[in-house]
Amino acid sequence: MPRPALRTRSLRRILKKIPGGAYIIHYSKRKPSVAKCARCKKPLKGVARERPSKLRKIAATIKKPSRPYGGNLCSKCAKEVLKETKLKR
Amino acid sequence: MNMFEIGRICLKTAGREAGKYCVIVKSMNDKFVLITGPKAATKVKRRRCNKEHLEPLVEKINIHSDASDTEILKVFEHEKIYDKLSIEKPDTVAIKAMKEEKAKKKSLVQTRKPRLRGGKSAAAKPQERKHKEPEKPKEKAPEKKAEKKVAKKHKPEKAKKATKPKHKKESKPAKKKAKVKKK
Ligand SMILES: [Zn+2]
Repeated sequence: MPRPALRTRSLRRILKKIPGGAYIIHYSKRKPSVAKCARCKKPLKGVARERPSKLRKIAATIKKPSRPYGGNLCSKCAKEVLKETKLKR
Repeated sequence: MNMFEIGRICLKTAGREAGKYCVIVKSMNDKFVLITGPKAATKVKRRRCNKEHLEPLVEKINIHSDASDTEILKVFEHEKIYDKLSIEKPDTVAIKAMKEEKAKKKSLVQTRKPRLRGGKSAAAKPQERKHKEPEKPKEKAPEKKAEKKVAKKHKPEKAKKATKPKHKKESKPAKKKAKVKKK
């Protein structure tokens, strides 16, 4: 029986095989939800989905697209927004 | 109407240079054109670009095909493009950096040629190796030969001396005979 703090189902269980061949359970917090476009609400591609502690170890170029509005708008919406803002002078 | 002519100013709408202005310098094929910022003015690199990733504007400048960045910068100032696009004029520092980069690229292209033959190693390394290779055998070869000669003299002196000239004598006349026969 695990200790009471680990009995919650909000934790993710990971099976790890130990050298003796037996399996033990590791507990970890769940990943955040998928990032979505702020305009069309479609799931964004190329955006890292990790806990902040892991995000700190990842390179900036892997975390999100390096284009303007990257990680906030999808590429199609960014294209439209750029045209609207830049060409309506 | 084909809007993607030489000298047309466009807005880049994709990639990390999205939202920046560029000029079309040359048409590559149906889909691609060669563009440039120039980098000193708009931070857009001189590169190939898909037409779908460009939004042509009303502005157009007079340049010839494949014009250099410095030429385009002069035309920009002459036709007051900076005011039309509301961009800041590039400093002398930025222009200098652009020219230095160009010079660097030229030197890279020259050093890349051996890299293609050699494989994955860095651009500068194969050249050094190639210089070293011809030098080493010159230095080491005479020493080895001297050692071998000494060794020969000590042990099988007569046998080798006897065999070597024989081969030469046998081979040469044989060739001569063959030539004579052909004639
Ligand atoms: Zn979107």
